[in-house]
Amino acid sequence: MNHSPANAERSHPGSHGGRILVIALHAFTQLVRMRVFYFLAVFAVIAIGSNFFDLPQHAGPETAGVNVLHAIKSWSLGTMTLFSVVLAIVATALLLPKDVEDRTLYTILAKPVPRLDYLAGKLLGVLLLLVVSLALMDLLLAAVLQIRTSILLGQLMDIANARGWALDEVASQRAELLTHGPNWSLQGAVVAVFLRAAIMAALALLISTFSSSTLFTSITSFLVYFAGHFQADARGVLLDSGAGGHGPVARVTGMLVALVLPDFQLFNVIDAVIEGQAMPLILLGQLAAAGLFYVVFYTLASWYIFAEKEF
Amino acid sequence: MAEATPAVEICNLVKDFKTSFRRQPLRAVDDVSLRILPGEVYGLIGPNGSGKSTTMKALLGLVAPTSGRCAIFGKDSLRVDSRHEVGFLPENPYFYKHLSGAETLRFYGKLCGMRGRVLAERVSELLALVDLEGARDRRLGGYSKGMLQRIGLAQAMVQDPRLLILDEPTAGVDPLGSRQIRDLIFKLRERGITVFLCSHLLEQVQEVCDRVGIIFQGKLVKEGRLEDLIAIEDQTEIILRDASPQLVDQITALVASSPGAALVRTGKPRTTLERLFLRATHGDES
Repeated sequence: MNHSPANAERSHPGSHGGRILVIALHAFTQLVRMRVFYFLAVFAVIAIGSNFFDLPQHAGPETAGVNVLHAIKSWSLGTMTLFSVVLAIVATALLLPKDVEDRTLYTILAKPVPRLDYLAGKLLGVLLLLVVSLALMDLLLAAVLQIRTSILLGQLMDIANARGWALDEVASQRAELLTHGPNWSLQGAVVAVFLRAAIMAALALLISTFSSSTLFTSITSFLVYFAGHFQADARGVLLDSGAGGHGPVARVTGMLVALVLPDFQLFNVIDAVIEGQAMPLILLGQLAAAGLFYVVFYTLASWYIFAEKEF
Repeated sequence: MAEATPAVEICNLVKDFKTSFRRQPLRAVDDVSLRILPGEVYGLIGPNGSGKSTTMKALLGLVAPTSGRCAIFGKDSLRVDSRHEVGFLPENPYFYKHLSGAETLRFYGKLCGMRGRVLAERVSELLALVDLEGARDRRLGGYSKGMLQRIGLAQAMVQDPRLLILDEPTAGVDPLGSRQIRDLIFKLRERGITVFLCSHLLEQVQEVCDRVGIIFQGKLVKEGRLEDLIAIEDQTEIILRDASPQLVDQITALVASSPGAALVRTGKPRTTLERLFLRATHGDES
């Protein structure tokens, strides 16, 4: 037989990691070429515009700076959450049905590509898009905060000089202002935003393996997202209800609910960072562990369904 | 000498699909068995919904057999490693429109574990083979139907598989594009690559295939070497060039005087509409 040099490569069919990376980079390119980054312009407008939101003042002029920084963080992190969750759900919900509809899935699965590699690659592509999007938004937010904090520090010193504040009072006001500026806790909050979006992407992947339309996947994912904010309350009600109180049935049901439905109240730590509180590293570690657990759990469940799927 | 491992082996393949409205499942493929030896070009023909595509999908592991088994070069089709040796072109493929021709081939090559210079050379080689060098950097969104079909064929061949499965390779393609695909299949046969194709275009199947199977309502109703299947055993064809009317009369008289023989038809052989079209548009004399 007269085969070309490519034939010699057959003995190296490629690793799982290599294939996953190829599919991930392709999914990322596909989404980028759909011009999803246009939303960054909207974010820029919000991040810069939040400088000028006129908030009601209940205290003296010395707190005005803190309020401005609070508003910038609140609007920006809120927008980041909105964009990342919408992007995670819609992008993931779009990728699988599109491949099935266009029959490109046939050509991929007809190559030596295990179905788990295909799913993991698609998910990784979306996660890559989230990382890049959030990194760009984070960069812009940090820049806006840095510039605004510098200006506010200057204004604070002017007020301090005009009013003749004592040094310790100046230091206290300065420290208060800096807790609202760009710091490591803010970066932790952005990581938390990413983890929440990553969980939603993995969940949308799971739903899209058995859903028949992008719309169904998107709506169901958003419903689960909202339900996730009440998961802890629902478990509390379940465990406290009935004569048996903390009975075995209630406990097992509660555990099952926690297994399949993430508790998004854990991510309320983002609100604390907006209020100027520090985010302990251990808390970020716990969020990362929870995020990793749900992403892996949902991906494996997706694989279980997708492995049996016929096209 | 030991018999070569078949490129394709389908044994008693049955595929039922669940239906929403009927209690009885729909039997798409009903006890189909066939073997394709390495280097053969095999055509599976049948009307729409007869089970051709389902048979191919079962062979690629895209659907699981209800019963029976499929194997590619001895490896069970449900195993991922069976797909190292196979390339597939689905019917009416739509590839990623955001990728160019070269990017598409690179993507599929990388999925097969190819990298670097070997992949770059293979991409150039394939683009030349399917006559798409001029469109290598153009996005697939701007490709014509025939070009899409050819880039589809190129992606199927990217890892240089020993078996190609082509589902309606010339569907919706104009006669010229169709001719190019047919010529490609000839080239592949010369290189010893096994081709398993299904098509509605019986003339093309007749031109390129060594063996054919006819599938109807999920059952393989006829199968064998093309020459054996289409030959009319009790007739003989003689084609003469520049024969005078007197010579034709003599032959006719000779046949009439031979006991048991009968002249069925005389006249001028006709070219095909495809050849006429190609001659008119490209001066092709073949």
